[in-house]
Amino acid sequence: MKALIRLAWEALFLSEVPYAEMRDDSTPLVRGLVLVALVALAVALVGLVGTALEWATTPNMRDVQQIVLDGIQQMPWYQELQSDPEFREMFSQQYELWWRVFPALFGAPDITNAALKIVTLPLGLAFVWLLYGLLAHLFARLLGGQEGLSQTLGCTALAVAPQLLNLATFLPYVAVGSVVSTWTLLCRYVALKTCHRLTWGRALAATLLPYIVFLVVVSFITCLGGAAAALIFGGGTSQ
Amino acid sequence: MKELLQLAWGALLFRDEAYAQHVARADVLKRGLALLVLVTLLAGVVSLIVNLTGDLRPMDTGAQRREAEQSIQEFTRSLRTLRQYFDMPPGFERQMTAYMQAGTEIGFHIAELPTRLSKPVGRILRDLGAFLSLPFSRLAGWIGYALWVLLVAKLLGGRATLSQMLGATALYAAPHILDVLGFVDCLGPMLGLVATVWGIAIYVKALATVNNFSVGRAAVATVVPALVGVALALLGLLVVLVLALVGG
Repeated sequence: MKALIRLAWEALFLSEVPYAEMRDDSTPLVRGLVLVALVALAVALVGLVGTALEWATTPNMRDVQQIVLDGIQQMPWYQELQSDPEFREMFSQQYELWWRVFPALFGAPDITNAALKIVTLPLGLAFVWLLYGLLAHLFARLLGGQEGLSQTLGCTALAVAPQLLNLATFLPYVAVGSVVSTWTLLCRYVALKTCHRLTWGRALAATLLPYIVFLVVVSFITCLGGAAAALIFGGGTSQ
Repeated sequence: MKELLQLAWGALLFRDEAYAQHVARADVLKRGLALLVLVTLLAGVVSLIVNLTGDLRPMDTGAQRREAEQSIQEFTRSLRTLRQYFDMPPGFERQMTAYMQAGTEIGFHIAELPTRLSKPVGRILRDLGAFLSLPFSRLAGWIGYALWVLLVAKLLGGRATLSQMLGATALYAAPHILDVLGFVDCLGPMLGLVATVWGIAIYVKALATVNNFSVGRAAVATVVPALVGVALALLGLLVVLVLALVGG
């Protein structure tokens, strides 16, 4: 366990040594899986503490919702329209809907969600790691890589190391931001370059191609969904 | 700590040996990051103290309301000035003032709501959170831009590893210790500008050292991503403009 954490810590600083150590390990896949689960669990637990502190220093959202509603109802535009019962009904429905979506969007503390992350974050990170690892392995092999799938997965598991930055969220109101995703990209590049002993150009291609595939698939699904929706709804009104 | 300060001093004075010794170390990225985080936190300390002092004083709601009212009046005055240049619908200023007053009132009512932990604890945690977020914000900006610089440097024949390049370019943060005076009117922004230009010069020097580049080539690697970004933004603007014109 201690050795694994040391490996992740070293991997964070983009040294090739921990990645090479993982590649040459006898069970890189198992160690990778344990590392992903450990990091995710630690981040989720720490996040729960931070969220709980934030929740304890934030007013009740229901009260905030009521105050905002009272304020809106005092505004001239609302008073002009409130005589229309249809407007009042629609506004009330929309307002409830907004308050289900917006607090979460603006980072209002949600303890239930933070607690659920103890389960969902390890699962989510493991899924992303496996999916990315599989695609990256495929491209690395196509680009001349020689190592096996378990070596690729072991090395790319070390690329979860930047998630350790999220441990700072132990303190509430700390915003880690986009640095984790960018750093993960760099770690993945070093992982693939070291694992398959690729040149920098090939390693860069192997790192980025899974992202491109993901973007293409998402765009395709979105277009397909849009076309299906157009067929269903457009078809119904074309007569 | 002493070593880090020596490194920062050497970087600030563009001493060749400071750069060469730094990039030759195995822990170049760790040292670079430590310097970047340290400088960012030190630069934010004064603001943190100012904020904490302000937040721990008993709140004078009356004074806050007067301050808010003054801001609204200033905004209304600026709207009146704008009226000379832009056509505004009748009653626009009155409506805007009413909305701003209603918004301020909502804000004051929310601030009065009770919290589970006492209000000062919440304010301290908020200030600390904002303070500790500073390094992450700087890291995100630096690493996001560095990615593109690294790519250009590689295309120009750079031989440094990823950790060497990042560790070297992190030195750019050293002059940003001047940001400690960022809250001072007029002087703060001026020092910020000095720190930015100084930081860019250090960035170029570090890139040249780590890649064995000439200063000119390092400057190209530093500037090209920004130029490409500007060019793409202009292109995007042009496309939007053309589409708007075609669409009528």
